[in-house]
Amino acid sequence: MMNIEKLLFVTKFEELGFDALKSLLALRKAGLEHVVFVNVIEKERFAMSRVGYRKDEEIRLRETANIRFIDWAESLFEMGMEAGVYIVVGSLVPEILKAAEKEATDLIVIGRSHKGVLDQLYSGSDVTELLRRSATPVLVYKHMSETTLALEKPFERPLLATDWSPACHKAVDYLKTLEGIIEEIHLIHVITEKELADSPSHTSHTIQKARKQTRKKLEEVCDIFEERGITARAHIYIGNAEDEIEKAAREHQASMIVLGSSAKASWAERWIGSTPREIAEKSMFPCLLIPPEKSAS
Amino acid sequence: MSKKVLVVDDDPDVRLFSVTVLEENGYSPIEAANGEEGLKMIKAEKPDLIILDVLMPRQSGIRLYREMKTDKALKDIPIIILSGIAKKTFLRSQKAMTEFGGKPVPEPEIYLEKPVEPEELAATIKKVMGG
Repeated sequence: MMNIEKLLFVTKFEELGFDALKSLLALRKAGLEHVVFVNVIEKERFAMSRVGYRKDEEIRLRETANIRFIDWAESLFEMGMEAGVYIVVGSLVPEILKAAEKEATDLIVIGRSHKGVLDQLYSGSDVTELLRRSATPVLVYKHMSETTLALEKPFERPLLATDWSPACHKAVDYLKTLEGIIEEIHLIHVITEKELADSPSHTSHTIQKARKQTRKKLEEVCDIFEERGITARAHIYIGNAEDEIEKAAREHQASMIVLGSSAKASWAERWIGSTPREIAEKSMFPCLLIPPEKSAS
Repeated sequence: MSKKVLVVDDDPDVRLFSVTVLEENGYSPIEAANGEEGLKMIKAEKPDLIILDVLMPRQSGIRLYREMKTDKALKDIPIIILSGIAKKTFLRSQKAMTEFGGKPVPEPEIYLEKPVEPEELAATIKKVMGG
């Protein structure tokens, strides 16, 4: 059984604030009791923008982060929760992974920058690197100004896009423990144009047969959720995976998109698939990426 | 033999500060960097006093304090809380944890909010240790 008891909340403050954390506290119903805050002071970038490295600037940044975290931790403590803090100087992704491992967290939450093009490039590659290397599920949270969607309850209406990979099966295990938090889940599978073109006889019958088989598999997953009292609906889309998943999330008013983070091919298991990467970096929805077992780098 | 004092704090600078104050006042300090490590050391070393931070990785001082005060073998070891977290927050958190099904625990003997002056810490230690 996978419970989200401990969460790692990675912030640079400007992109993820306490309001974002508060929206995740609904997870208390599913056993969340400990939040670990992480702020990484990135020495390389810091040094790039100045002449040399200044210790006094590091102290200022550390203390600024510390004051914010004390305030946030006090709010959690007063709710009877546990809180911890890491303020470290180093490279973002390795420091996040180190903290996640030390703390044995069940979920990493990271924001995606919403600033200039250069920042987006940095941020995009950081998020991608984290998704690729993390053995822990990662929720890529979006800044409030990017969307007017109901970020107050991100787990209320997830959309799980499955390609039947092991990571997707793990995502089902992860989500099914969230009864009482998930109100309704939408399961989708995207049949690509290529899959249809590759089928032996590209007829109406074979297309409908593929739809029927996929539908049956989706319904079986729906049953897993329904048994736990979570309303689940199955949907099939045809086309480009990234576009269709985004479309489905909009059509079903999803509060987040959930994906398995690995490609299906075994040679690529250590690499995040292109669809999860594209969606995590570009979607207007928060994205929860679930890695397959033993995918730590 | 000098009395053994365990300093539990994740900040190495604060540990160094407390250890220096303790050594200058004739105590034998030992150190732990988080609540989890602290609890192991408390059980192994049976210190005469604990100086405890609240906001730490792995396990907070709030949880460690709770574990100690509900453990018959450890509950009488005096604790000085030395933290940036406000005392009223500490007390409210303990109340909330009790409401969530935990046992009620007594208030800490002494609660000092960071930062403290060395003289203040030394005087507090002496007071608690009956020196």
